[in-house]
Amino acid sequence: MKEQDSIATGKVERSAKFIKTGIKVGGNYLKHYTKKLFDPDLTKEELNNDNAQDIYQSLSELKGSALKVAQMLSMDKSILPKAYVDQFSKSQYNAPPLSGPLIVRTFSKYFGKTPDKIFDTFEIKSSNAASIGQVHKATKDGKQLAVKIQYPGVAESISSDLKLVKPFAFRLLGMSEKELDVYMKEVEQKMLEETDYVLEVEQSQKFAEACKSLSNISFPNYYPEYSSPRIITMDWIEGLHLKEFLATNPTQEERNVIGQALWDFYQFQQHTLRAMHADPHPGNFLVTPDGKLGVLDFGCIKELPNDFYEPYFQLILGDTLNNKEKTLECFRALEMILPQDDAKAIDFYVSWYTKLIRLFAEPYMKDTFDFADQQYMQKLYEFGEMISRMPEFKQARGVKHFIYVNRTNFGLYAILSELGAKVKTAR
Amino acid sequence: MPNKDQKEKIRAAYIDYVLSKGERPSTVYVFMKELELPEEDFYKHFSTFDAVEASAWRAFFNHTLDTIKTQDVFAGYSSREKILAFYYGLVEHLKAHRSYVTWCFKNTSKIQFSNPVYLTDFKKMFEEFANDVIQEGISSGEIIDRKFISDKYKDALWVQLIFIIHFWIDDNSTEFEKTDEAIEKGVNITFDLMAQSPLDSMVEYGKFLWRNVAFKK
Repeated sequence: MKEQDSIATGKVERSAKFIKTGIKVGGNYLKHYTKKLFDPDLTKEELNNDNAQDIYQSLSELKGSALKVAQMLSMDKSILPKAYVDQFSKSQYNAPPLSGPLIVRTFSKYFGKTPDKIFDTFEIKSSNAASIGQVHKATKDGKQLAVKIQYPGVAESISSDLKLVKPFAFRLLGMSEKELDVYMKEVEQKMLEETDYVLEVEQSQKFAEACKSLSNISFPNYYPEYSSPRIITMDWIEGLHLKEFLATNPTQEERNVIGQALWDFYQFQQHTLRAMHADPHPGNFLVTPDGKLGVLDFGCIKELPNDFYEPYFQLILGDTLNNKEKTLECFRALEMILPQDDAKAIDFYVSWYTKLIRLFAEPYMKDTFDFADQQYMQKLYEFGEMISRMPEFKQARGVKHFIYVNRTNFGLYAILSELGAKVKTAR
Repeated sequence: MPNKDQKEKIRAAYIDYVLSKGERPSTVYVFMKELELPEEDFYKHFSTFDAVEASAWRAFFNHTLDTIKTQDVFAGYSSREKILAFYYGLVEHLKAHRSYVTWCFKNTSKIQFSNPVYLTDFKKMFEEFANDVIQEGISSGEIIDRKFISDKYKDALWVQLIFIIHFWIDDNSTEFEKTDEAIEKGVNITFDLMAQSPLDSMVEYGKFLWRNVAFKK
C-alpha cells in the first residue's frame, strides 16, 4: 500500500507538470497562428520546435537530467513530429569536437600511421559533425573522400546512461521493470550498433549492393582498408542537403524525382530486404548535382522479422481494418491489445488504433499521394499530439519493433512533406 | 658507434631482467655476468641501476617528442594541441613498454612518488618542453600570464602527466579509449584554467575596489 501512495503523489505532481506543458503547447499554437496571419511563410516546423522544447524541458525537469530513452519510449511510440525527435536526440551526445592530436592518435592507433601518411591530403579541421563523430575531407589517388571519426567513449557511455535512466523511466511510464526492459534492450542494442563502425561499413556495402537496381539513387563507395572500429572512409558525395536543395527553388518535377527515389528506396527496403535504414534524418540524404538522391550513414538498420512484418502490413496495406476479427488478431499479435485488457479497453484501443492506422495508411491507399498537402501532415501531427497526451496512451504499448519502425516512417513522411513531393505510391 | 649499441644493449637487457625476475639485479656484477660482459663495461655507460632506469625514461621522452615533431600538423598546433599531442604520443609509445612502465610505477612506494629517481631527468625534459609551450601560449594570448601562478603552470602539467600514466596503467578499456578521453577532457580543463577567466576579472575588480573604495572611508 505504501508503494501505491508514493506513486500516486508522484502522479499528481507529474500530471501538474504535464498540464503546465499542455498549456504552453496550446500557447505555442496560438503564437504560431497569430504569427502566421502576418507571415504566411511561417513553417509548421518552428511551431513543432517550440512545442518540443517545452515538452522536452518539462520531461527533463521531471527527471533531473536529459534522459533520452525515457523520452523516446514515452513519446516516440505514438506519432511524433520530426522536430520532437530531433530535440530529444539533441541531448544524446554533446561532445565537443575532437582535438587535432586526438584525431592523429586515433589513426596511429588503428593503422600505425598518421592521417597525412595514409591519405594524400587530410583536413585536420572537421567539415561537419555526425551524430556520434565528426567528418573530415581527404583525398587519395585523385579521389575525394569523407572520413568519419567517432568520439572516444561513446559506446561506453550508452550503456551507463541507460542504466541511469532505468529506475526513473519505469516509474515515469508506469511500466514494470520487465516490460520496460524489452524496449530498453532494443534501444540499447541499436545505439550500440551505431557505434560499431566495422559493422556500419559492412551494412553500407550490403545495402548499396542490394539497392543498386533502384533508379535515381546513389551510394558512396566504402573503403574497408581505411576503416576501423572508430573510423569510416567513404567517397565524398558532392551534393546539397535537403534544406539547401529546397533553397535553390527546384521545380516540382525535380522535387518529385527525389521524393519518388526516397519512397521507392524505403518500400524496397521494407518489403524486399525486410530491413531498413532506420535513421531518416535529413542530414543523411543529399541531392547530387545530377539530381539523384545520395544516401549516407547505414549505422542504424532495423530488421523487420516476419511476426512483425505480417500483421503490421496486413493492417496498413490490405483491407484488414474492415474486418473486425482480423484487425483484432493483428493488434493482439503486435501487442497493441494486451491479454489483460477487458472488453471496454479493447473497444477503446481498437477504435483509436484503427483511426491512427487509417490516417497513417492514407498515402498507401491511393495511386499517387501529394505530400505537399499540409492538411494531411497537420492532421497527422495533431492526432499524434492528442494521443500522446491521453493518459491511456502514456503507457507504452506494442512490440519493441515499433520504436524504430515508427521513427523511420514518420521521419520519411516528414522529409517527403518538407520536399513537397508528389509520389506514386501504388504498389 | 659500438659504444652506443652496447649502451642500448645493456638497457634492454636490464629491462628484460627486471620484467622476467620482477626485481632489480642484486649487484652490477651479477647482472653483467648474465650478459657475459665485464662489469667495467657497465660503468662506461651508467653509474648505477637508477641511471639505467632514468635513461630508459629519457629515451621515452625523446622518442615521443621526435615523433610528434615530425608530424606536418605539429607546427600549426596551438599550445593546447601541442600538450595534447605530447600526451597522446607518450601513451602511444609507452604501449610498447607497458609492462616496464607498470613495473616502475607499481614498484615506486607512495612516499617516493612525487619524484622517483628514474623520472628526474624525464621530468626536467618535460618541464622544459612544457615551459616553451606555455611561453608560446602566453605570447599568442592563449594562456594568461598571472603573477606568481604562471610559474606553476608547468607543475600542473607535470602532475597531469603522472595522473594520465597512472590512469593508463589501470585502464582496461579496449584500445585504452578511456585514457584518450581522460587526456582530452583533462587537458581541456587545464587550458581553460590557464586562459583568461571570470576569476581574473574579479581579481582585477577587487584590486580596483581595494584601491578606490576601501581607503576613502
